Order: sequence, then structure tokens, then C-alpha cells
Amino acid sequence: MIRQHLAILQVMLPMLCAPLCVFARRPVIAWLIATAATLFALAGSFILFAQALNAGVISYHLGGWAPPWGIEFRLDAANSFVLIIVSLVGAVCMIYGRDSIPREIKSSDQPLFYTMMMLCFSGMLGVTSTGDAFNLFVFLEIFSLSSYVLVAMGAGSDRRALTAAFTYLLLGTIGATFFVIGLGFIYVLTGTLNMADIAVRIAGMSGSGTLHVGFAFIIVGIGLKLAIFPLHLWLPNAYTHAPSVVTALLAGTSTKVALYALLRMLYTVFSPDLPFEALILHYLFLPLGLTAVFVASIIALFQSDVKRLLAWSSIAQSGYFLLGVSFANIGGLTATLVHMFNHAIMKSSLFLAVGCVVYRTGSCSVASFRGLGQKMPWTMSAFVIGGLSMIGVPATVGFVSKWYLVLAALERGWWPVAFAIVAGSLLALFYFGRVIEAAYLQPSPENSAVTEAPVSMLAPLWALTISCLALGINSELTVSTARAAAEALLAPHAGLPAHMGP
Amino acid sequence: MKHHLILLMAAKLMIPPILLFALYVQFHGDYGPGGGFQAGVIFASAFILYGLVFGLDELRRVAPLSAVTKLMAAGWGLYIGVGYAGVATGGMFLDYGRLSSDPIAGQHTGIFLVELGVGMAVASTMLAIYQCFAAHQSRELTDDEW
Amino acid sequence: MMNGLTPELALALTLLLPGIGAVLIGAADRFSVLRDAISLLAATALSTMVLALLLNHLAGGSAQIQLTPLVQGLPIFLLTEPIGLVFATLASVLWVVITVYSIGYMRKNDEPRQTRFYICFAIAMACTMGVAFAGNLITLFLFYELLTLSTYPLVVHYETDAARHAGRVYLGVLLSTSILFLLPAIIWTWSLTGTLDFVKGGMLTGKIEGPQAALLFALYLFGTGKAALMPFHRWLPAAMAAPTPVSAFLHAVAVVKAGVFTLLKVGVYIFGTSFLSAMNVGEWMMWVSAFSLIAATIVALRKDDLKLRLAYSTIAQLAYVTLGVSLASVMGMVGGIVQLVAHAFGKITLFMCAGAIYLASGKTKISDMRGLGRVMPFTFGAFLLASLSIIGVPPTGGAWSKWFLMIGAAESGHLVMIGVWILASLLSIAYLIPLAARGFFLPLTGQEDRPQPQGQEVSLIGKPGLQEAPLWCVAPACLTAALSVLIYFAGPAIAGFVLPALRP
Repeated sequence: MIRQHLAILQVMLPMLCAPLCVFARRPVIAWLIATAATLFALAGSFILFAQALNAGVISYHLGGWAPPWGIEFRLDAANSFVLIIVSLVGAVCMIYGRDSIPREIKSSDQPLFYTMMMLCFSGMLGVTSTGDAFNLFVFLEIFSLSSYVLVAMGAGSDRRALTAAFTYLLLGTIGATFFVIGLGFIYVLTGTLNMADIAVRIAGMSGSGTLHVGFAFIIVGIGLKLAIFPLHLWLPNAYTHAPSVVTALLAGTSTKVALYALLRMLYTVFSPDLPFEALILHYLFLPLGLTAVFVASIIALFQSDVKRLLAWSSIAQSGYFLLGVSFANIGGLTATLVHMFNHAIMKSSLFLAVGCVVYRTGSCSVASFRGLGQKMPWTMSAFVIGGLSMIGVPATVGFVSKWYLVLAALERGWWPVAFAIVAGSLLALFYFGRVIEAAYLQPSPENSAVTEAPVSMLAPLWALTISCLALGINSELTVSTARAAAEALLAPHAGLPAHMGP
Repeated sequence: MKHHLILLMAAKLMIPPILLFALYVQFHGDYGPGGGFQAGVIFASAFILYGLVFGLDELRRVAPLSAVTKLMAAGWGLYIGVGYAGVATGGMFLDYGRLSSDPIAGQHTGIFLVELGVGMAVASTMLAIYQCFAAHQSRELTDDEW
Repeated sequence: MMNGLTPELALALTLLLPGIGAVLIGAADRFSVLRDAISLLAATALSTMVLALLLNHLAGGSAQIQLTPLVQGLPIFLLTEPIGLVFATLASVLWVVITVYSIGYMRKNDEPRQTRFYICFAIAMACTMGVAFAGNLITLFLFYELLTLSTYPLVVHYETDAARHAGRVYLGVLLSTSILFLLPAIIWTWSLTGTLDFVKGGMLTGKIEGPQAALLFALYLFGTGKAALMPFHRWLPAAMAAPTPVSAFLHAVAVVKAGVFTLLKVGVYIFGTSFLSAMNVGEWMMWVSAFSLIAATIVALRKDDLKLRLAYSTIAQLAYVTLGVSLASVMGMVGGIVQLVAHAFGKITLFMCAGAIYLASGKTKISDMRGLGRVMPFTFGAFLLASLSIIGVPPTGGAWSKWFLMIGAAESGHLVMIGVWILASLLSIAYLIPLAARGFFLPLTGQEDRPQPQGQEVSLIGKPGLQEAPLWCVAPACLTAALSVLIYFAGPAIAGFVLPALRP
């Protein structure tokens, strides 16, 4: 029975665990509940992915109402791939949190913290799973609202988290509003909210002004959540002041989920064949992506706080996503999905490593990294590997990402873009170089008694680091999976019931 | 407080009808305008009125924040629970037509419980927000904290 | 092969032995004698393996190993072929020599962080073997990048501000060029041909032509930053901040040779000489190389710091190979390969001598070194021999490389390049020979020779008593100096060994 309902259970089990955590008397029980739920979701996502790949699209009808009238959870290779990313990073962060969370959040708040983690987690899984555009909005809000709270919980150690969360709240809400307005236009035009159904119905309407306006609102709305340059202003503060675990979770998953929503809209609901979308991809996404890569990387060069540095690096990486999307071919889409997975792994591992440093030194300024190469060898070597991966050194996942992005650019014949991609990744060398140089080549401050982080934090960190290396040495799995996912995104009508077909 | 006698008496008179009206809106939601969201807000407004007139400490005695938080979670849990009931009875998630042998009656039961959960959650959330804001010791953020 | 040592196993061991050595060295951190012994043992074992592979190849065998795909369709692939074997043999034999030298140098100088030094050295060696035996371009690129990273800790060994700055330049230039130019060039090749395997005679024929081919060739040449083609040469002088054994071996042999080796492989197996010459691909790069050659030589003339002068000399000598590749003739390539060998022996000797001079006298400036030959005759003798080899005077190995390169220039009709080489050789006499001459024939600083009465001249050499560096440092230098003379007799054999791979 579990297998039959797995598509819904893996979203709804964390959702059920959220209120349970409120009733937990001791924080550790809440932690246990939350961790168990994420592990369940992780196992579930692997099963679902295998099922979607082998047996075709999984369609689950909520309340027994058939689509397009009822809400449908629709899992194909693309979103079950994203499910794996989200639940993997979620599970790793939860395990890591056992020692890290008590350090940064006071114990009376911890059950509520886990509640919010669960809501955020299930919201992200829900966005990924649903086949209904309005339901997507609802889950998007569940996950956004809870992530505002999670960011604000950083106030325990740094009250600037409150202003960061407030900015995030304002911009996130504007984004959500734009999305739902856009959806309203589409609903007026088509009378349906099921994404596959919308795709069928708008096929002949490319000249409609309503459609154009709706499209624009939706893209801007998701763009705010994804922190597309220049809609990224909420991100650096939110990432910097949130608790370490939250930053790692958000960096690894939230932008990925928003990216998935964007891809779903661009490729499944709308289509790059629509003339106005082709224009947007070419004349908006391409330049914005390039600008993001360079501007954000250059800003990252001048940061003195490592978390903020990594946050700007994330904005730069979202530029790569935009580039991959703007290629509008299967190669570009595959590259985007590969990079989505790889970036989730490497950026989460980097933030977890910074979390270890915060745990021991209480600070994450570049200066506090001095001498840590000797004092925290495991943490820092994980950080170095993560950094090398961001630069794109071969035998790391970052190299695989760069390879496919450049290849896709060359397939389109866009020479300067290919060059810009590698040039951008080079900037990462300079900003990571600063941190690594401080850690290894500068003496630690006098009388510092810093020791290595506890094993419970190192183990999840190294699990990500090792997968960063292993999947970099053998990328067969990631790439073939991403290719299947890209094909699924480009085939919106696959597996539709007859009454919904084109 | 003595000199606010009229205010006190008026509030005491108004609170029970407000609560009653909230329950009406809650349970009539199946058939007419209303439902858990509106009812929850009305229900909470009675408590907020109580708090405004009798003071925050008195409100905390009647509705402690910890209990309010638990009620919030319970309402949320009730909603999800109804969803799971559909799975438990062999249907799909949220398939509450199966809660009774007659699907129509089952639908009634299901939406009743769902709205109840929503009402609990909304009322307690409104109360919690009020209590948190009212208890807030305002402190100017320093320039540094911006 | 015998005793159950299959060629595949030997090939795998060439990468594994230095790796295992690195782990054991780390484990023996506290026992310095054991640690040094392990280093030496690993080096000896490695060169035995490479020699076994060489013998196996001479007997007509070959070995290859295929590992997981780095990206789809591109596995990590190791293969023995003549050019790679030459490079691997050279590097592994010289590793033994330099290990002996390092032990002497590091102990005498009482250097800090010796364990890290030996570990990084061993890892760099494993990467060099990976470069030498790479069977496709992506494997080559992988080990090329890892070599850069593993030598970075050696450059910043002293952890001073100057070392940190040197490290930044080193990593910055090498990684920038490889990521900006080499990687796009590789991906471009891959998208053109669908394969990156090294194929005899090249694989670009008919896939690309005209200015695009020239552009691709330029991307490869500039992208291989380790070949130190101007203007991407700054890392090499910067790397001289490392301890002398590192400069001697890694930055005169392993790293820079990995660079020119990459170019040779690309020239021979990706482009192919016939394609290169038919398309006239190297026309522009030939002039860039020639400029680099002359300019570096002139800069070397003006440097007073011995290690820096040698570094610029290395840049010039590397440009010999780049020029050889750009000439696109078979003999040019052969000349490049022989130059790779001859220059390695010559330059490592020069650096070892520089280190020995520093150990014995504490001097780094050339202007301070006059007269030192009288107290360090062995060191200066080795220096002189090696200088002759770098200049290209028979009977030293350098003579053959210049010979083949000039034939290559004649073959391809670029006679003007012969003039470039002659000019560069003359200039290299000017920057190398005075050092040895002043060492022997001028008195020590502060001990001016008084005019001797007629009929009572004394021998200038050996008079004030020997003040040589430790035996562990001088003996390796003398050995490699002797070997660079021996290379003269082996030159035609090396050419004969690699020619079958070059002739289509």
C-alpha cells in the first residue's frame, strides 16, 4: 500500500511530522522525528525515480478526482530527479543538525525549528511533485513562508537575521504574488490549472496578449524565488545570517526547486517553440545569465565573510542555470540539470564545512579561517575539495557541469558564451583561493584552542564531499539521469490520458 | 481599570455572542458563506478583545501561548489526519468520501473535520500573533544591526 | 613479462607506487630516516616499473588500462606509447636522482615541513606518470590539472609573504590558462570529432580548416601554460620560491616537460604532422614561439639571481619545443622529443649545482660567485658540462636536439628559424659560460690575486682547499652531468625509438 501511495506519502509524511514536532517534549525527539521523515523521503524518492524511469509517468489523483478537474501529482524522470536532490540534501542537513542546531538555537525554540524544517522540506517536495499549477503555488508558499521563519531563527546568534528575513519575506511575497497573478491570466485564457492540460490548450494561442502577460508575471515571480540576477537582493543577507544548517539546506535545495519550477513552466507548460519565449530566452536570459556570472563573482571576490562569499557564488551559479536554460536545446537542458544536481552537492558541502568552522570558532569571517588547515584538517580538506569543484577542476562534479555547459554552448555555436562560462568559473579560483590561503598559509591567532568538529558533523559533510568526487570521476549516472529528465521536460504530452491529449 | 467600567461591562457582554457567532460561521460553512478561516478569525477576535480590555497577563492566564501553539499544531494535524484517513480506508489521499458508507455523508464528515482543523489553526495563529506583538518590548535596532 | 608482472599491472603500479609512497611517507612522519628511505624506495621501484614497461614495449608489447568515464563516452584511459615512455623513463629515473639530492639538501639546510614536501613530491610524481601514460586527451587534462594542484604546496613551502605571492602567480597562471584555453580547446575537439583518443596521424583531417584550425592550435599552445610560452610564462620564475630540489626537478623537468609533452602529443596525435603542415596551422604560433625564445634568452642575460636566470633559460628552451611543434615537420617533432630529454638532464644539473652553491656558500647572486669554482671544482665542472649541453655543443645531448630541430626547419622550408636557433644558442653561451668561467678563472671575492713573479705561477684550481656541498648533493649533479654527455650517444637511438609513432 505504501508503494501505491508513495508519491503523496513522501510529501505528506514530513507534513504530518511538522505538527508532531511541536508536541515533542525534548528537542532530540523532534530531531529524531524530522530525521526519520527525511530519510523516508530519501528512500521514497529513489524508488519513485526508478519507477518513473522504468514504468513511465506516475500520476496520483488527490481525493480520487481525476485530472484535469482534481489535483494531480505527476512524477516523470525530471521531477523525481529533483526529488532526489531535495531529499538527499535534506537528509544530510538533518543528520548534520544534531550537534549544530543546539549550538545556534536555544532549546525552547528547537521543536518549532524542526517543525519549520519539516514544513519547508515538504513544501519543496510538494512543488516538485505536483502537476497542478495552483497547487504548485500553494506548496511554493508553504516552503517560502517556513524558510522566512528559518532564516529569522538565526536571530539567536545574530540579530541581523531579522532584517534579512524581513527583506526575504517582502521580496518572496512579491514573487509569489506575481506568480499567482500570472497564473490567473493563464486560467482566464485556458480555464484549467493542470500543467499538462494548459500545455495542450495554449498550443495555438501564441499570439494572445493575455498569454504574454501571464508568462511575464510567472517568470518574474519564479525569478524572485530563484534569485535570478537582478532579483537576487534578498539572498546574500538571508544566507549569511541564517543558522548554518538552514543555509546549507536553502543553498542546496530552495533555488533548485525554484529552478525546477522555472524549467517546468518554460519547457512543459510553455514551450521554447513559442516565438515570445524564444525571444525572452535569447534576449533576456542569456545576457542576464552572463551578467550574473560575472557581477556576482566579482562581488564575491570582495567579501570578508565566507558565508556571504558563498552566497554571492550561489547567485553567480544561478547565472549558469540561466545560460543553460537559454540554449533551449536538449544539450543545454541536460547541462542545467547536471549542474543543478552537482551544485546542490558542492554548495551544500561548502556551507556545511563553514558550519563546522562556525561551530568551533563562532565566526565565519575569512580572518577566522586562519590556521584552520592544521587545526581542522578534515573540515578544511572538505572545503578545499568543494572549492576545487566550484572552480571546475577535473575529477570533481564541477568539472562535469562545466564540460556539459561549454559543450552545449559550442553545439549552438555560441563561442563567446562558451568562453564566458570558463572565464566565470575561473573567478571562483580567486575567491576560494583567498579563503584557502588563509586556512593553510597563515598562522592561527595566538592561544586559539580550536579543535576538529565532532564526527556527527563531519560524517554528513564527508558523505557529500565523497559523492562530489565519486560522481566527478564517474559521471555516467548523473548525466544519463539528467538526460532522461531533460527529455521528460521536453515531452509534456507523454503519458497523458486520452481525454487530455492534444 | 475601575473607571473603564462601561468598557468592561460591554466587553463581557459582547464576548459570548462573538464566540457563538464564530461557531455558527464555522459549522454553517458547509451550507452557506463561512468556514474555518473566517470562523477562526472571529473566534480569536473575542479573545483579543478580552486581552485588550483586561490586559495581556489576564489573556495569558486564559490562553497560554504554549497551549495556543499546541492548538495550532493540532488543527494542522487534524487536516492532515483527514487526508491520511482517505488512504487508511483504501482510497486516495484526501479521499474523504470514504469516511462513511455513503459517499455524500462521508464528504460532509470530511469537510467538517477539515474546516474544524482550519478553524483551530487560524484562531490559534491569530491569538499567537497578537500575544507576540503585544508582548514585544520595543527596542530600537542599532545602525549596526541593519 | 616475468614473475606474474603483467604489463597492465606494471602500468597501474606506475601510478599507484608513488601514491602508496605518499601514504607511507605520511605515516612515517616522525622517523625522518625511515621517511627518506621510503621516498628513495618508492622512486627506485617506480623507475624499475617504467623500465619494465619500456623493455616490454621494445619487445613489441603494449599495455592499456581503461577506467570509469569522467564524462559520458570519455573514460580515464592509460596507454603505453613511445613518446610517453620516453617522458616516463626520463621523469622516473630523474626522480631517483633528485630524491638523493633532496635528502642531502633538506637535511643540510634543516628545512621545515619535510614530510609534507616528500608527500607532495610523490603525488606530483604520480600525476606526472598519469600525464605520460594518458591514452586520451581528457586523462591528460585530468593529471595535468592535478599536477598543478599537487605542486602548489611545494611552491608555498616556506609560507612567507613572498612564497604566498609566488603561489598565487603559480596557481593563477597555470589554472587560468588551462581552464580558459585548454579546456575549451579540448571540448571543441571533442565536439568536432567525437573522440579524444590519441590516434596515430591525428584525427582532425577534414573536420576543421583555415583560420579555425589555427585558432584551435593557438588555444592548445597558450592553454598549455606549463609550456611557459610568453606571455604566460610568469609562473615559472615565481615557482623559484620553492626549495631548490623542487625547482630542479619539478620546475625544470616534470612540470614544464609535462607542458611541452602535452603539446607534442597534441601535435602528433590530435592534429598530426601532415595535417599541420598541409593546413599551415602553425604559421602564427611559430613566430610567437620564436619571439618567446629570443625574448626569454635576453631576459635571462639580464638576471643576476642564478635560479631566475636558469628559469628564464628554461622558458627559452621550452620555446625550442613549441617552435618544433609549430614547424609541423616530422623531424621537428623528433627534435622536440630529444630536446625534452637533453634539456631535462642539462637543466636539472644546473639547478642542482645552483642548490649546491647555495648550500656551500649561501650565495644566490651570480655576481658574488666568482672564484667559487676553485673551492667547488666538482660542482662547477658539472655546471660547465650541463651548460654546454644546454647550448648544444657536441659531444653533449643538446647537440642532437638542435640538429634535429634545424633539420625540421629545413624540411618545412622555414629557413629563417634556423637563424633564430643559432642566435639563441649564441646568446645562451653569453648567459651560461661566464658563470663557470668566472668561477674558475677569477679569484674569490675578497681574495684578489696578487701578481705573481714570473716563473712562480701557481695552479688556479684547487688552491684554497675544497669547500664543496655535501656528497649527497654533489654526486647526483655529477651523475646527471655525465649522463647529459651520454645522451649524445643515445640521441639517434631515441629518435629511432619514437619515429615509428610519428611517421603516418
